[in-house]
Amino acid sequence: MTASPTTRPAPVVSPRDGVSPERRRSRRGWIVNSVLAWVVAFIFMVPIIWTFLTALKPGNEVFSTGLRPFGSEILWSNFADAWTEIGFGRLLANSLTVAAITTVLTLTVATCTAYAFSRLRFRGRNGLFVLFVLTLTLPMEIAVIPLFLGFNAVNLLDTWTALILPSLFGAFGAFLLRQFMLQIPSEIEDAARIDGASTPRILTTIIVPLVRPALSVLAIFTFLASWNSFLWPLIILNSMDKWTLPLGLAGFTTQTGTQWELLMAACVLTILPVIILVAVAQRQLVAAIGAGAFGGR
Amino acid sequence: MTMTPSLRRTATAAGRRGSSAAGWAGWGWIFVLPGLVGLVVFVVTPMVASLVLGFYDATLLGGLTPAGLENFGQLVRDQQFIASIGVTALFVTIFVPLNIGLSLAMALWLRTRLAGRAWLRVIFLIPALSPMVANAAVFRMLLQRDGLFNSVLDTIGISAIPWLSEGRWALLAIILVSVWQTFGYNMIIIGAGLDLINPDVIAASRIDGAGPVRRLWSLMIPLASPALFFATVMTVIGAWQTFAQSYIITGGGPGHSTTTIMLYVYRAAFSYNDLGYAAAISAVLFVIIASVTLIQVWGQKKWVHYDG
Repeated sequence: MTASPTTRPAPVVSPRDGVSPERRRSRRGWIVNSVLAWVVAFIFMVPIIWTFLTALKPGNEVFSTGLRPFGSEILWSNFADAWTEIGFGRLLANSLTVAAITTVLTLTVATCTAYAFSRLRFRGRNGLFVLFVLTLTLPMEIAVIPLFLGFNAVNLLDTWTALILPSLFGAFGAFLLRQFMLQIPSEIEDAARIDGASTPRILTTIIVPLVRPALSVLAIFTFLASWNSFLWPLIILNSMDKWTLPLGLAGFTTQTGTQWELLMAACVLTILPVIILVAVAQRQLVAAIGAGAFGGR
Repeated sequence: MTMTPSLRRTATAAGRRGSSAAGWAGWGWIFVLPGLVGLVVFVVTPMVASLVLGFYDATLLGGLTPAGLENFGQLVRDQQFIASIGVTALFVTIFVPLNIGLSLAMALWLRTRLAGRAWLRVIFLIPALSPMVANAAVFRMLLQRDGLFNSVLDTIGISAIPWLSEGRWALLAIILVSVWQTFGYNMIIIGAGLDLINPDVIAASRIDGAGPVRRLWSLMIPLASPALFFATVMTVIGAWQTFAQSYIITGGGPGHSTTTIMLYVYRAAFSYNDLGYAAAISAVLFVIIASVTLIQVWGQKKWVHYDG
C-alpha cells in the first residue's frame, strides 16, 4: 500500500516552523524537572558514593580529609587488605552457599504450594489459603526466641540447618507464584491430561516453564533476603567459620578501633552484588513488589 | 429415576472427563503438605509459643520451669523495658509518617515527565534491597563527630551535631537512616497503586478544572488508598521490630536512648541469659503489634476505598 500525501497524518509542528512557545515551555519544564530529580537522586546516593571513596583512602585520612573526596593517595590495596583482615573470602563463600541453598529450597517448596493453591482442587483449600495469607502479616522477628529454644532442644544451635530452615516457608513466594499460575489457561493443562500426563509431570513440564519469569524474580528476592539477613544468623551462629557477611561486617564494625577504610571496602564488596542484581532485574523486581502488594486484597 | 441411555452415557463421560481434568484428588494435599508443615512448624508454632514462653523460666540447658506471672511482674517494674517501649513508640511515630509521606511524594514525582525515570526508581530502591548491616556501618561512619555530615554542616556554617553522643540526636539519626534505607520499597508499592488509577479519571478531573492539590487530596490519594494502607500496615509492623540500625550504629546508646524493644529482647536473652524474660518481652511486643494492626484494619473503613 502506498500512502498518499493526504492520508499521512500531518505533523503537529513542522520542523521548519520551529517549536511552538507552549511546547518550548513544556520542554524547558521537562529539563528542569529531570535535572532536579537527578540532583535529589545524587544526594540520596552520597552515602554509597562516600563509602566507595572512603574505601580508597589511607586509614589516617578517613576523617581528616573533611569534604575532600580523595585522600593523598588512592589505595586499591584496601580491598585486598579488607579481604584478608575481615576474612572476606570465607564470609563470602558462606553467604553464597547459604543463599543458594535457601533459594533452591524456597523455590521448590513455594512452587509446590502455589501449584496446589492455583490449579488443584482439594478439600480445605480455601481455608488453608487464608491461613497462608494471614501469616504474611506476622511479625516474624518476634519468633526468634521460641525458634532458638526449639533448635536448642534438638541440639541444632550453631548449624546452617537451623540458620536456613525457618526462612524457607514464608508465604510470600507461594503467594507470588500463585498469582502467575492462575493466569495460565486451563486448556493447556487439560490437553496434557488427555495425553495421559500425570499431575507431577504437568507441574514440571508445563507449569514451571511457563512461570519461569516469576521464579527468577522470586529467586532474586529470596537470595537478597538471605544475603541481607542479620538478626537470626546473629542469634543462631556462634562459630566464626560459619558466619555470613552481615555477621562479619557487624563484628568488624562494633569492635573498638575500627579500621574504617577496610570496613568501607568490605561494605562496597557486600553492596556491589546487590546493586548489579537490582540494576539487571529492575523491571521484574519493580513489577513483583507491586504484585506482592496487590495480590493480597 | 430413569435416564435414557444416551443421557446416562454423556453424564458418565462428563464425570470421567471432569475427574481426569482435576486429576487424583489427593495430589492437592501432597503438594501443599511440605509448605504447610513448614509453615506450621517454623512460623505458626513459634509465633504461638512466643505468647506462651513468657510464663516459663527458660535456660540454655534445656530446662523449662513454669514461672507463672513472675516475668511479667518483673517487666512492669523494669525501667529499661519501659524506656525501650517509649523509644520504639517514638521511633514508629516519627518514622512511619516520614517514610510514607516521602514514598508518596517520590512516587508522584516519578510519574511526571522525567529523563531516566526507570533508573531513578532503581537508585531509590537499592538501599531497600541491600544489607541493613552494611548500610548501618556506612552511616555509623558518616555520623561520627568528624564524619561527612558534620563536615557538610561545617562548610555551611552550622556547628557540629552530636549525632551519636546525645540521646535525642541519636534517635533522630536512627530514624533518618531507616527512612533513607527503606522508603524506596514503599515508593514502588505506592507507585504501583497510582498506576492502577484509570488515566481517564485523572484527565476528566483536569477538564473539570481541579487543581493539582485538589486532584491529589480528593482523587489520587483516595484511589491509591489500598496501596497506601498496605504500605502503612507493613511499615508499622516492621518499624516496631527495628533492631539492626540500633545494634550497629549506636549499640542502643547513649544510655538507653536508642535501645528498641527488639534490641532489649536480644540483650535480655543473650547478654543477661534470661530467655524466659526475653520471651515475655517478645509477647508484649506481639500484643502491641497485633493491637496496632487491628486498629488500622478497623480504621481503614474510614479512608480506604477498594472500588477504584
